[in-house]
Amino acid sequence: MDVQGLQMTQPTPPTPGVFKRNPPIAGEAEAIEAAKNGDAEAFSKLYALHKRRVYTLCLRMLGNVSEAEDMTQEAFLHLFRKIGSFRGESAFSTWLHRLTVNLVLMHLRKKGLNLVSLEETINPSEEDAPKRDFGSRDLALTGSVDRVALERAVASLPPGYRMVFVLHDVEGFEHNEIATMLECSTGNSKSQLHKARLKLRELLRQPQPAAQPNGLKEVAV
Amino acid sequence: MTEFKSLDFDSMTPADFETYLPEFFANGDGHVSTDPRLQTFLRNNPDCAALVRDLEAIADQARSLFEPTEDQDPSDAVWSNIQNKLKQSTGGEDDLPVPLSV
Repeated sequence: MDVQGLQMTQPTPPTPGVFKRNPPIAGEAEAIEAAKNGDAEAFSKLYALHKRRVYTLCLRMLGNVSEAEDMTQEAFLHLFRKIGSFRGESAFSTWLHRLTVNLVLMHLRKKGLNLVSLEETINPSEEDAPKRDFGSRDLALTGSVDRVALERAVASLPPGYRMVFVLHDVEGFEHNEIATMLECSTGNSKSQLHKARLKLRELLRQPQPAAQPNGLKEVAV
Repeated sequence: MTEFKSLDFDSMTPADFETYLPEFFANGDGHVSTDPRLQTFLRNNPDCAALVRDLEAIADQARSLFEPTEDQDPSDAVWSNIQNKLKQSTGGEDDLPVPLSV
């Protein structure tokens, strides 16, 4: 990743909600310090500890296995080059996730997905938007949501909805942080999240297709 | 549409509730069903209460997605590519060591 990305990946002050969800991992602090000193095995350990979360984050944001693997690779290359700038002011995984999110967003911008105006550019079409039938109690969920079914439904969300839902409800970012990252208003972030949840409710009330091996399906962005 | 500040939570219409639902979720701890201001309204509007329960269930389960399952690993090619790229840059601008194994 070129130097342009550096400005986007500067760690910001820790967010308590995210920090709580990223407790320190045994042996991680030692690996970080060793990696800062150029210890190759420490890099391997950090990759092994965080590859799954970083890859899953990329996959959820991009909806495409190939792109997700490319961005996972970029995220760790970026991490290895810049680990010296990690000062421990937030949890390492929070820092790494933020770095990854910024890289993915930069990648999407390069692809031509203009995130400057979320409402205009990645707002789904009318047919993708959630139906305004919130009053149909007969179709309500039964009070629990199956993880696999939710994962599948998230993967089939329109990109704009999926982005905000993953950042807020899964990754734990606040609306003001999402607004900054996506260069939209806080109100827009709230609105997109609400529409995403409504769309998920609609998807989850539909008959479930047969289970797929990886729980995630590939969706073109 | 009624202004949020002048909204009477007990007697607002379902349409007003729907309009302001994103705000209700965004404020407080995100659990609308326990918001004391909305208890009367939700009791009188069971369809709205059902919607709130569903959306809360979705948001709650979404948090569990933060921890990936064991089958969500990138392919081994990713680490190979990282190693190769690091080898290429060794001695270059970054002067990085090359991790050998995961």
